[in-house]
Order: sequence, then C-alpha cells, then structure tokens
Amino acid sequence: MIWQFDVILLTLVLVCAVISLSIRDLMASAIVFGAYSFLMCLVWTGMGAVDVAFTEAAVGAGVSTVFFVATIYRTTRQSNYKRKDLFIRSFSAVVVSVVALALFAVIADFPYWGDPFSPVNDYVGSYYITHTMAHSNVPNVVTSVLADYRGFDTMFETCVVFVACIGIYAILRRRKKQAKAEDTAVKHVAHDSLIIRVASQIMVPFMQLFALYVVAHGHHSPGGGFQGGVVLGASVILLALAFNVKTTLKYLSEKSMIAYSAIGVLIFAGTGLLCMFLGGNFLDYSVLSQILPYTDEVMARSHAMLIVEIGVALTVMSAMYGIYLSLATDGHFDQGL
Amino acid sequence: MNIIIIVLISLGLFFFFGTAVGMLRLPDFYTRSHAAGKGDTLSTALILLGCALFIMHEGHYSGASILVFLKLMSIIVFVFIGSPTASHAFIDAGYETGEKQWSNKKQAKKKP
Repeated sequence: MIWQFDVILLTLVLVCAVISLSIRDLMASAIVFGAYSFLMCLVWTGMGAVDVAFTEAAVGAGVSTVFFVATIYRTTRQSNYKRKDLFIRSFSAVVVSVVALALFAVIADFPYWGDPFSPVNDYVGSYYITHTMAHSNVPNVVTSVLADYRGFDTMFETCVVFVACIGIYAILRRRKKQAKAEDTAVKHVAHDSLIIRVASQIMVPFMQLFALYVVAHGHHSPGGGFQGGVVLGASVILLALAFNVKTTLKYLSEKSMIAYSAIGVLIFAGTGLLCMFLGGNFLDYSVLSQILPYTDEVMARSHAMLIVEIGVALTVMSAMYGIYLSLATDGHFDQGL
Repeated sequence: MNIIIIVLISLGLFFFFGTAVGMLRLPDFYTRSHAAGKGDTLSTALILLGCALFIMHEGHYSGASILVFLKLMSIIVFVFIGSPTASHAFIDAGYETGEKQWSNKKQAKKKP
C-alpha cells in the first residue's frame, strides 16, 4: 500500500465522520455516512481484506444508506438535538476524552502492522493458512475460516441477521384495520420515471447473476454468502425503488420473505445436525462424505461450505428485503417510497 | 501504446477537473448535477479504459490480463448506464420538490 494514499484515505474518513456527526440535516448526514462507508471499503482493500471490503461496500455504502433514507422519509429530517443541555454535553465530553486517552495510551503496546510474531499470527492464523488446502481444498482461507473452522460463529451471525429482520418486522408491521385508524403518514404517490425503470431492468439481471456467482464462487475468490445475499437483496430493493413495492411483492411476497429467511438459518443448522446424525460433531462437515456422492472427506468440507453459504445468502437476502419493506412502507406492506 | 494510455488517463483527469470546477462554480442545483453526471461518467470511462489497456499491455496480452480488461470494460458499461440514470433520478426529484432554477434575468436585475 502506498502510504500517501493511506494518509489521504484516513483523512477523508475522519472528515466524513466529523461531518456526518455534526450536520443537522439527517438526510445529508446519511449520504455522508454512505461516503464514509465507501472510504472504509477502500481502506479495507488497501489492507488486503477484500472480503470485508466487499461486505462494507455492499452493506455500508449500499443497503444501509437506503435503510437510513427510508427511515428518514418516514420520520423526520431534522435532528431534535438541543444545544443548551450543557451538563450532558460536558459529561459526555469528559467520558469521551478519558476513553480516548486510554486508547491512545494502549496504541504503543500494539504489535506492528503485519508483524509475524504478533499474537494474532502466532498459532491460530498460521495454522489456518497452512492447513486449509489440506483440510478442505478451499483456496480462499477467509471463507474456510468463516464457514468451516468458525462455522459455529457464522451460524449465530446468520441467526442475528434473521432475528434483526424478524424483530423489525414484528415491531413495524401494521395490520390493515389498525392502519385506517391512524393513517397519519403522508400518502406519497410514487413518482414514475421510464428512464429509471428501464435502466434498473437492464441492471438487475446482471446484479443477480453476479450475486449468485459471488455465493457459489466464494471458496475461490472474495465473497460468500453474506456478500452475495446482500447484493441479491439490493437488487430486489432496487426494483422496489424503481417500480414500487407492489411489483416486487408479486415476485417475493411477504410470506415467502419470512419463510426464506427462516429456511436459510434452517439449512445452516440442519447441515450441522446432519453431521451429528452421521456420527461427527456439530458442523463437522467431513462426515458428510458418507451421503454426498463422489466426495472424499476433504471435498465434503468444501461442498458443505457451499451449502452453508447458500443458507446464509437466503437469510441475508430476505432479511435485507424485509427490513427495507418494513421501513419503507411504514409497516403496511402495500406502497412506499 | 503507452502514449495512448497516458492520453486517455490525462483526458479523464482533465474531465474530472472540469466536473469539480463545474460543481463548485455553476449557479444552481440543476447545472451542478448536470456537470457532475456528465463529467463523472466520461472521465470514469476514460480512466478505466486507460487502466484496462495498461493492464492488458503489461500482461503481454495473456488470457488473465484480457479477462481483467473485459471485467473493466463491463464496469464501464454499467457506469454508463448507472451514472446518468442516477443523476436523472435526483434532478427529477429536485424538480418534483420545486427546486428553483437559476436564470440570467434575475442576476441582471440584481446587479445594477
């Protein structure tokens, strides 16, 4: 990494962070936050963490900005932040500066960047790097750590995404009778533009194809279930933005959204359980070679990673779509944005 | 080949500079986003084309370098579809919400 480039990026990240915190207009703040995420994505790429950069670009710069905009559209655009509250401001300033001082004091003890003798690189990391090809024949170490060695963590991460979607859905969903009684939200007839519709129609098939490629090729190149799922969800959200929610609900209805997000977690946990039934540990994929045809124990782990990634992608895709729908339609699931 | 690449990338940088100047100097929302949309698209395409040719030339036209070239080309295609559509979308949104247009007459009246 060129250090000048690093310095410029970090400065821009800091500037974006300060602006997005200090600006009063929440919409502008959300946009600046999207720019911040994109710059962070560049920083990750510079560090060689391409998988993380991919996630940051798809989630941080893409989908979460849409979530922010949808939320602001349904609530208020100005922050009701009172400048007069001196006590809280001074108190938080003290707390923040103490924490910052503590953090700066710790920096000196950090290992150097890429230090081969740092605790991170001592035994766990080097073990994964040297043994992945022999254990599971997967060139992308990140995917094998994510889906195989640390499969347990990833399973519960998928559960977190699922629970977030279900939680937002449960809080925001309104039934029709209730909706008529408190119909306070401004009914905004979606503005229809032929140019945007046609352009998104051209883009969406490529996006979805690329997302499927990312899911299926996650072993060999950067990517995997989370990234592919987010891109899939973003393509559906793009359609919902360009046309309207009714159009996408025809293809991916509310019920199937909930069902898919549950099925994804079920695929992941079911693979783990299947391993237990076949005599291995939970999520110990090598025993799956007994039922998968033409696979030895090494390839079974590789294939099981693909199965698990498909589950993750299903959950993430429908969770993104569900969260967007809940926020954008104000819980009515009929029209919005 | 190198000359072509240098010309392409510096043309791209020139148009990027024009975009930045346009965004800072033009008088209202519409003209500013017009500068952003057009200049951004063209300069991104030119710079990416330069990079793609450079990679292909450096890689001695091997299969892998041609693959990278094709990937960058497809990025150019998507930028050409996406970026003008995006600027159309928010100019349209600005028009819907009644953003005022700049006109020469008001300026002429105000000045004297």
